[in-house]
Amino acid sequence: MSTLRIIVVGGGIVGAACARSLVRRGGQVEIIEAGDGPGLHGATAAGMGHIVVNDAEPAGLQLCLLGRKLWREDAPPMNPDDGFIESGTLWMAEDQHGLDNLSRAADRLATAGVTAHLLEGAALFDAEPALSRDLIGGLQLPQDGVLYAPAAAAALVAESRRLGATIRCRTRVTSVEENRVVFAHGESMVADAIVIASGLDALELCPGSENCIPIHPREGHLAITTRGTCIISHHVVEAGYQKGAQGEEDEAVACAVLPRSTDQLCIGSSRRPRRAGGLDSDLMERIIHRAERFIPGIAGLPIIRKWTGTRAASADGRPLIGLLPGSSSLWVAAGFEGLGITQAPAAAELIAASIFDEEPVIDPTPWDPGRN
Amino acid sequence: MNSQEKVSIRVDGTVLEVRSGTQLAAALMGEGIVAFRSSPCGDKRGVLCAMGSCYECRAMVDGHRLVRTCLVTVQDGMEITTERPLEKKLLPTVETTDIVEDETGVVVIGSGPAGLSAACVAAELGQDVLLIDESARPGGRIWAHRGQMPAVVRYWIDKADRAGVRRLQGATVIDGEVGWLEAASVISGARTRVRCQKIIVATGARERFLPFPGWTLPGVVGAGALQSLIKGGLDVKGKRYVIAGTGPLLLAVAAIAVSEGAEVILAEQASLLQRVPLAFSLLASPERMREVWQLWKTLRGVEKISSCWPVKAQGNQRVEKVYLKIGNVTRVEEVDGLAVGYGLIPETRVAQGLGCVLEKDGRVKVDRYQRTSVEGVLCAGEPTGIAGSEAALASGQIAGTVAAAGTPSFQLMQKLRRHRGWGIALERTHSLRPDLIRSVVEDVIVCRCEDVVSSSIRGVRSLRQARIQHRIGMGPCQGRVCMPILALGDTLEHDSVRPPWSTCPSPRTELSSTDGH
Ligand SMILES: Cc1cc2nc3c(=O)[nH]c(=O)nc-3n(C[C@H](O)[C@H](O)[C@H](O)COP(=O)(O)OP(=O)(O)OC[C@H]3O[C@@H](n4cnc5c(N)ncnc54)[C@H](O)[C@@H]3O)c2cc1C
Ligand SMILES: Cc1cc2nc3c(=O)[nH]c(=O)nc-3n(C[C@H](O)[C@H](O)[C@H](O)COP(=O)(O)OP(=O)(O)OC[C@H]3O[C@@H](n4cnc5c(N)ncnc54)[C@H](O)[C@@H]3O)c2cc1C
Ligand code: FES
Repeated sequence: MSTLRIIVVGGGIVGAACARSLVRRGGQVEIIEAGDGPGLHGATAAGMGHIVVNDAEPAGLQLCLLGRKLWREDAPPMNPDDGFIESGTLWMAEDQHGLDNLSRAADRLATAGVTAHLLEGAALFDAEPALSRDLIGGLQLPQDGVLYAPAAAAALVAESRRLGATIRCRTRVTSVEENRVVFAHGESMVADAIVIASGLDALELCPGSENCIPIHPREGHLAITTRGTCIISHHVVEAGYQKGAQGEEDEAVACAVLPRSTDQLCIGSSRRPRRAGGLDSDLMERIIHRAERFIPGIAGLPIIRKWTGTRAASADGRPLIGLLPGSSSLWVAAGFEGLGITQAPAAAELIAASIFDEEPVIDPTPWDPGRN
Repeated sequence: MNSQEKVSIRVDGTVLEVRSGTQLAAALMGEGIVAFRSSPCGDKRGVLCAMGSCYECRAMVDGHRLVRTCLVTVQDGMEITTERPLEKKLLPTVETTDIVEDETGVVVIGSGPAGLSAACVAAELGQDVLLIDESARPGGRIWAHRGQMPAVVRYWIDKADRAGVRRLQGATVIDGEVGWLEAASVISGARTRVRCQKIIVATGARERFLPFPGWTLPGVVGAGALQSLIKGGLDVKGKRYVIAGTGPLLLAVAAIAVSEGAEVILAEQASLLQRVPLAFSLLASPERMREVWQLWKTLRGVEKISSCWPVKAQGNQRVEKVYLKIGNVTRVEEVDGLAVGYGLIPETRVAQGLGCVLEKDGRVKVDRYQRTSVEGVLCAGEPTGIAGSEAALASGQIAGTVAAAGTPSFQLMQKLRRHRGWGIALERTHSLRPDLIRSVVEDVIVCRCEDVVSSSIRGVRSLRQARIQHRIGMGPCQGRVCMPILALGDTLEHDSVRPPWSTCPSPRTELSSTDGH
């Protein structure tokens, strides 16, 4: 077979991962990025970077597991501070009901072969001394971790370029047709395959997207503390962090705190059905308040910067990964909500398998963009 | 206030007697404490700017992390501790301190010449005015003082008091939009939220720094910083200083250092020839001529070198030697301190935070009535361009008048134009030498908060990339020191500003510290 010419639209974490998976299979890959460079814009520049196996949904669990495995075993060369660090996740329970839920989750994870420990009482505080003594237990996933996504996207692109891929920055794609992408000034480019990984607005570029599961914005607020304040070692998150992920609620606030390798804490977060814009100080205050309930004293740590980001949430909570309905040359990888950093390398493998007609490592049907 | 009176403060457990009314940073330096914090890679750091923009002087004060000691006046019983990383342990629960709610017609941010005059005029025209400033005392950088208030400051403060201007000193504006602003106490982080109709941004300028090997050593401070420290109570009698960099500020700094008994060498990077045109503008203004003559008399015995700048500072834990480049030779001076600043840059963060559009060169864009691109937000003084205190006074009065729905007089507008012209002439005659700018690409620390070295950012294409992927400007100063250095290259866009517009202590108190934690 002659070399496939492939265009990847978007240099976020998903586009960057796709580029690497495709160039590794011998594709001639060009990334088109609207902004200054890979990983500098969109959700990738704003997201926390928790690499997490989430069992909210069985298919998603598989995608998370594969993503985590690839980040652990096959990450591109990076500065150790930015790369995958095995911090583990601690899901926390405030009451018996919460603990029962975690206990059931532990069973499901065990069935799926995922290492997880239910910690009750003192064992929780041995694992994470800074937690509130009002908590009664937690679920520890020791193999989860954290990663700095803007650097990871850049590293994936750098590795792809070493293998022969190219990237064109400050170039916006305005529309996509079969085998062709069109740029702002009317110029266009042809390719054998096109992967649309432009994040929140991906479907706007796709012809026939009315036959796809729609994608909606889900805004989140985050804050980062000064150095010298990292008092936890796990990514600490309250059970129910994903609530609001599917958008039934107007506003959801839950505690998720990520330990940074720079001795800082990244404090989140919220979910509101809208695009990110200016900062809502009152909402940020509620987030910090929420975190204080689980990690006493955290609200007393000085904050350097607060920002907002937009998750791309599909209507049924599952990402869109695969060939566009009715098309033979257009693939989409978008709608990852709050899990895109974790799942990016897995999604990239599915896209590459589909383009190169390989047997996929996991069943891709749950993510078919044309599902209903 | 009697500045001979002593107060006691405790520094890392040791009790020190210092003069009352002293700036905390100056008091500590006076006691020989020049290193205030450790950088991420373990270097000792001390005061750089002494005006609240670099965060190098930060320490824990009375239990609050991240207090800028250069913005604080010593108080009896004050407890100062070096900031140390926290352990992974349970902390005491904290409780949010109450937010003070306030309401006014006009908020003026900054109490230098522009802010004070804007506040006065607006209040005299019947507006309810609140003046917010992060320093301990009004006057801004140029009118900063200790003990006796200079006559001109007294004049404006009295005028402001008579007009009913309310003042909130020691508070930094950290967030807001048209309609409301939030300010945080620089010591406790306690918040004040002010509802208002109009905002006048008069946040002044900060110093421009250029990195060179050794510029991070404690004892290397800004030129304006030395002035601020001396006014803040630092005793320089018998001390030897090199005062270097560029611009007319150097003369003023040298003059105050000399009159306080320091031995000074003055090094200006611009050539004499470059500065000749200034002489002509000077001749045109008798008041200025008089000022310069006074300066010159004070500096009679001081060695002044042109086309000269520091290329290296050396010392054990603090600066001891300065290497000066003069033409092709390098001269070494033993010093007690080096003060170096390369002119001023507009302080625009608050304006940017409010959404005001900037000019390409980084000034806040205003029309001739000092109105910014955002309805209801005006801007006066140095954020709109460096032009000195006379221009600041004039633009402040214009902004104050316009905020009170008045029409500024023709004379005022003309005065502003004349003084602006002077500012432009100054800037042109002190433009930075290309070889000086080139030297920045050497292997030096550019971002002092995060210890980012210049060589690691070669090939970086935007400030955004420098920030997000190389951690430039990710520390508490949020790029105030390093971004202007990067912007010397050909990057065009401005760095993004997000709340908090200044990093401040958290507005919380520990709950129940009496229950035996
Ligand atoms: C894991 C992680 C750790 C981080 N650590 C640090 C850190 O230690 N220090 C630090 O300083 N930062 C840190 N950041 C934040 C970083 O600097 C960026 O702010 C962030 O990555 C990107 O946020 P942003 O896209 O909102 O960027 P921004 O550049 O702040 O803004 C993005 C866009 O939003 C627009 N925008 C900004 N304000 C408004 C407004 N009021 N209304 C409407 N639009 C607006 C801007 O114009 C811009 O187009 C961290 C980020 C991450 C992901
Ligand atoms: C607050 C918050 C917290 C999060 N926390 C986590 C977490 O802890 N763990 C986790 O796994 N995930 C997390 N996420 C989710 C994760 O950040 C996203 O799912 C992921 O970054 C999506 O990557 P992407 O490449 O699909 O999209 P994006 O990062 O948005 O990238 C899209 C890219 O395409 C470019 N582009 C857009 N349109 C065009 C065009 N027309 N032409 C050319 N280029 C274009 C953009 O400039 C951008 O670079 C979080 C998200 C948010 C908002
Ligand atoms: S020395 Fe205090 S902030 Fe710069």
